[in-house]
Amino acid sequence: MPHIQNSSDSKLLYGSLPALPIILGGVIVGWQDGATLYSILVSLLLVFCGIGSGLFLWHRHVNELAQTNFRWTQDESSKIDAVSTYTSELERLLLTISPILSQHVMVSREHTEQEITSLSSRFSGMVNELQQIVDSTDNALGGQQCYHLDTVIDTSRDLLQPVLDLLRQIHQLEHKVVDDAFLLQAETNINQTLSLLSLALTHYRSDVDALRNNAEQIRGEINNVLVALQFQDRVSQILTQVENNLLNLQKTIEKIQQQGSKRDGNMLQVDEAVEHIEENYKSVSSRPDRGSDGSDDLTFF
Amino acid sequence: MAKTILIVDDSASMRQVVGIALKGAGYEVIEACDGKDALSKMTGVKIHLIVSDINMPVMDGITFVKEVKQLDQYKFTPIIMLTTEMEEDKKRAAKEAGAKAWVTKPFQPPILLAAIAKLVLP
Repeated sequence: MPHIQNSSDSKLLYGSLPALPIILGGVIVGWQDGATLYSILVSLLLVFCGIGSGLFLWHRHVNELAQTNFRWTQDESSKIDAVSTYTSELERLLLTISPILSQHVMVSREHTEQEITSLSSRFSGMVNELQQIVDSTDNALGGQQCYHLDTVIDTSRDLLQPVLDLLRQIHQLEHKVVDDAFLLQAETNINQTLSLLSLALTHYRSDVDALRNNAEQIRGEINNVLVALQFQDRVSQILTQVENNLLNLQKTIEKIQQQGSKRDGNMLQVDEAVEHIEENYKSVSSRPDRGSDGSDDLTFF
Repeated sequence: MAKTILIVDDSASMRQVVGIALKGAGYEVIEACDGKDALSKMTGVKIHLIVSDINMPVMDGITFVKEVKQLDQYKFTPIIMLTTEMEEDKKRAAKEAGAKAWVTKPFQPPILLAAIAKLVLP
């Protein structure tokens, strides 16, 4: 921040200026009092020398001020140029981002966040620098160029803020759109898979029921076969008994025949023989003492 | 581990029929043609249940049951009589000998298996 130096020349100049009218008044009074022309001229010469030196000092101070202001103006110009550069860079960034946004809606989340972060950091740095410039020149310039810089800052902020808001909105929309679309697709796939699984389970269930029914039928057929085999076994036993009885009957008849003339009709007791044969076996087709419901098939003691 | 059932019947076909029914239910089967043959095959073997006919040569079923109840190892082994006999005196004799159930031939496999499931040793 440039500041006016409080030099001794300045003090002399500013201190002597109010004395000038007093000196002139003194010369006039002296001249009126009859002082000699020479002394008056000498006095005037001294006065004008003083004025000249004062003017010189004042001129030099003004030059110094002008140079100081010029240098400060150059500094401020360079800073304003820097602000312009920032603004141009912002415009460039906007021009860069706009086609990206328009052409690529579904940018990656990381790229968007990086851009936002970069812009935010640049903007905040630029604002800080501009604010420092405003603070440093506010008192010296009386506020005119501060107003201008403030306007630039406000204008830049007004221009950039919508862009940042738009980027944030796009980021949120992107996140939302991606997630919703993904979830919707996933839900559709899951529902479709569940439908297929349900259909497959229904088919399997019906197949299992059919297999169970078939197994029950087969088991029933097997049980019927086992019962039939028992009947067949019983018939075989009966036939074996019949065969044995016939063989015994044949032997009995042969024995009687061997008696020759001594044989007697009472030697063969037919009724007793038949009764004896019946006692050895029972017909499986006749069960007079058994109920048809099979209630006598099992008895627990 | 499958449980072991001893089948005692003089008819080979009947032993096969009973064996098919029991094996289909998950039991292991030991066959004997009469009471004496059964006692010889029971030595040192864990028997969970015995199914025996009554009318058999060499040793009939009632005698076989009495002999089994004399053995300490098989004193509590349940015995089911599987026979064509229906007389009450035969049933009484089997009950007094120590049999636990009476099934008449020809038997329905589910009925025999239900009796076995109820009596078989754990």
